[in-house]
Amino acid sequence: MTVVPLAVAALPRLGRLASASRRLPPWVVSWLQVSPLAFVLVVLFALPTFLFLVVSFWDYDRTGIYPAFILDNYRDLLTTPATIRVYLSSLTFAVVVWAVTLFLGFNIAHFLIFHVRTAAARTLLFLLCAIPFWTSGIIRTIAWIPFLGRNGAFNQIVMGLGLTSKPLDFLLFSSFAVIVTYVNLFTLLMVGPIANSMAKIDPALIEAARDAGASRWRIMVEVIIPLSKTGIALGSILVFTQVMGDFFVVKQMSGGQSASIVSTLATEIQAMQYPPAAASAVVLVIFVALLVAGMMRIVDVRKELVK
Amino acid sequence: MMVGGQNHQTAGPGRPWTFYALAALFGFFLLFLYGPMLVIYTLSFQGPHGGVTFPMVGASLVWFADILQPGQMANIPVSFERSIALASIVSLLTVAISVAAGLAFRRRFPGSGVLFYLAVASLVMPSLLVGFGIGLGFRALDTKPSLFTSALGAQLTWTLPFGLFAMFAVVNRFNRAYEEAATDLGATAWQRLRHVTLPILLPGIIGVGMGAFTLSYDEYARTTLVIGERNTLPLEIYALISSATSPTLFAIGTVTTGVSFLIIGVTLWRILRLQRRRAGATPS
Amino acid sequence: MMRLASQRSTPGAAVEPRFDVELVAVTKRYDQTIAVDAISLRIPPASYCCLLGPSGCGKTSTLRMIAGHEIVTDGDILIRDRNVTDLPTARRGTAMMFQSYALFPHLNCLDNVAFSLKMRGVGKAERYARAQVFLELVEMEEFAQRLPAQLSGGQQQRIALARSLITEPQVLLLDEPLSALDPFLRVRMREELKRLQRELGITFIHVTHSQDEAMALADLMVVMDQGHIRQFGTPRQIFEAPADAFIARFIGGHNVLPTPQGLVAIRADRCRIGQAGNGGQFSGYVIAVEYQGPVVRVALQMQSGEQAAALLPDTTYFAAPVQPGDSAMLVWSEADAHPVAVS
Repeated sequence: MTVVPLAVAALPRLGRLASASRRLPPWVVSWLQVSPLAFVLVVLFALPTFLFLVVSFWDYDRTGIYPAFILDNYRDLLTTPATIRVYLSSLTFAVVVWAVTLFLGFNIAHFLIFHVRTAAARTLLFLLCAIPFWTSGIIRTIAWIPFLGRNGAFNQIVMGLGLTSKPLDFLLFSSFAVIVTYVNLFTLLMVGPIANSMAKIDPALIEAARDAGASRWRIMVEVIIPLSKTGIALGSILVFTQVMGDFFVVKQMSGGQSASIVSTLATEIQAMQYPPAAASAVVLVIFVALLVAGMMRIVDVRKELVK
Repeated sequence: MMVGGQNHQTAGPGRPWTFYALAALFGFFLLFLYGPMLVIYTLSFQGPHGGVTFPMVGASLVWFADILQPGQMANIPVSFERSIALASIVSLLTVAISVAAGLAFRRRFPGSGVLFYLAVASLVMPSLLVGFGIGLGFRALDTKPSLFTSALGAQLTWTLPFGLFAMFAVVNRFNRAYEEAATDLGATAWQRLRHVTLPILLPGIIGVGMGAFTLSYDEYARTTLVIGERNTLPLEIYALISSATSPTLFAIGTVTTGVSFLIIGVTLWRILRLQRRRAGATPS
Repeated sequence: MMRLASQRSTPGAAVEPRFDVELVAVTKRYDQTIAVDAISLRIPPASYCCLLGPSGCGKTSTLRMIAGHEIVTDGDILIRDRNVTDLPTARRGTAMMFQSYALFPHLNCLDNVAFSLKMRGVGKAERYARAQVFLELVEMEEFAQRLPAQLSGGQQQRIALARSLITEPQVLLLDEPLSALDPFLRVRMREELKRLQRELGITFIHVTHSQDEAMALADLMVVMDQGHIRQFGTPRQIFEAPADAFIARFIGGHNVLPTPQGLVAIRADRCRIGQAGNGGQFSGYVIAVEYQGPVVRVALQMQSGEQAAALLPDTTYFAAPVQPGDSAMLVWSEADAHPVAVS
């Protein structure tokens, strides 16, 4: 069999066309792999969201709801002082909780990454923080009641130590209790992403800063904080949205002194008043979306997460 | 989410004062985290005549026994079974869907941006609203919401984004040379997936599964509107809280915590064993 | 001595293929950048071929195209006169050794080596037996049950080698196999690779950026830069007569200096420090003296701004030592000056 390579070389133009169709183009493969996720997200999330957007324009009365296109629900919602009050209240809680969890979360993450020496200890301590997370939020919330109440554990301890003579009343069924509970529930949401970001910082950068004479404080401000921006942004998004979207904690812990946006919504849903509930939902979603979009401007979430 | 790897700590003996300050803060934080739980554990042993707050009136297991009685307000054992069943299915589905999606996102494909932000949106959307939307959908379709349809779907909108982002981290650590080597050695795409990619990703995949299980098991906000008539455990507890408060609640808390501990502990132990074997911690 | 099935001649073939590997105007384009620009190459049977060049020159892309891990944008690749351009990796008769070795971390060495046979559906007893044979070939038979993480770099490389060779390839492709090893191990593994190639009688294509390595190993050396082949030939051919200034500088041990007749390359070890004679000469002053054991390297800065070096045998240097700062003249004989193209 004598072979002339050039002649053989002439054939493959056709061969290439044939084999290209045997191999699936990469983007098709990706779409096949991602289609279940796409299905769930569209059918179970995007569509329902669209649904309550539509319903928010419907009419209703005591007997039922009627398809329509009216802006009454929005008008009623946005002109009631109660709405403004509850939004302000939720927002205040969110900001306070954010500040506290940020402080706690940042310092704990910093401690875990930069001060704990062995990886084993670090994992253990991190697990210790995460374990309570494995118990339902409901149980962890009501756990505060016997802890903070007049006859609760905290008051017993504090009176036992002689720090006060009367039980502290403001601890439970107050804004204080709400904030404490939120912090308890959500600090881990800060610790996780921030620790993740910190772990990715190249230690050589810190050594270089130290060599250049930077004090520990300056290193923190100039190196660590900027490089942890992603974690801070992610944690902030998670904490904010959890607080704004909560309906259980406020109900349980505020003793009726505060309402939350979503618990008002829930009441309307239970009364089968879907259109105003939907309008309330839409407004909340827009509000949250603006918040999140704002935070995502600080950091390119996609690049960081997929990296 | 295992942090570690690089060495960020200051070299040399002795600790800066910040170490002690931060350690103290950490200690306080742990106390703060566990304090209420300890109260619950203690109160679950409340005596038969005691109430839901201190003082303890004797000690007994009466409230634990109470769990097992299907009361008129709540049926704990049955709702517990439902929670486990639902969590198992959610976990399996989350793993399958997230792993596939995680592999897909290794390249940029048309629409990947939209999908990514959709996942983020699903994560940050206030949970009750998700349930609301799904509930509306079911009403529109004139179907009754139920445990393994609407509740399952609602929980997936919560677990899938977490699973996806966890898979991103897992897949990023994966060296594509392994797949190329497999191809070089004659593996088909399917063989590659089965014999190389999945086994190597296994510890991460197990992590995603366990994470999804926990998220589902403790979930109440997304499912509360679409659970139908048969409650999962968190919702049963929720109902109990509104109706009658007794130390049974705390006994439930103790038991569920114990169960979580057990499941997660066992899984973690197995992942660690897997990883240790592969990292060659026992050279002869 | 072991011969692979792949390099026994095909039964019934009248004529042996003239070349083991042939590249015909092969091009690789990534979006707008051209990584490999219409290169053509012919590698004779059972040769050790080194692709040498700086980072980004296209040598790794070329290797991966031969392997089938990259799709050829244009051109053809032939292996033993068979056009493999559109064939999947597994059907080309090639095997690749990755720079990171890519040993499967969840399988022990025996399973790693036997992997390709398992993919082909060979039964357990038979594939383990064959894997043992190849483990013995690379002298790693006692490590059969170990996991890759428990091995040193050199040991992992041997396993990777065994894993590739068990597929009985016609061509073995090595992607910077020695870069991850320490210098002593590198020299030892170099000898091993050369020995293995001779014993097996197949072609090795070895990508490296180290000219020492390439010169030591290659039967055929291919110098690449920016997607083009600059020169190919035996190491001796290239070292004695570099085609242009880039190659002369890259290959090392040469001075590239402008003369009235044009640019020339002179081997540094053929240069001397001395008096002007009837050969080439350049005057300047000494900027560095480096004792290297058997030779002393004297670096000079010419008045024209060029830098050059002379590699003097130690006895020659110490007979008339010069110090940094001394003015000196670099001399060489005309016969040693080799004209080069401007690159």
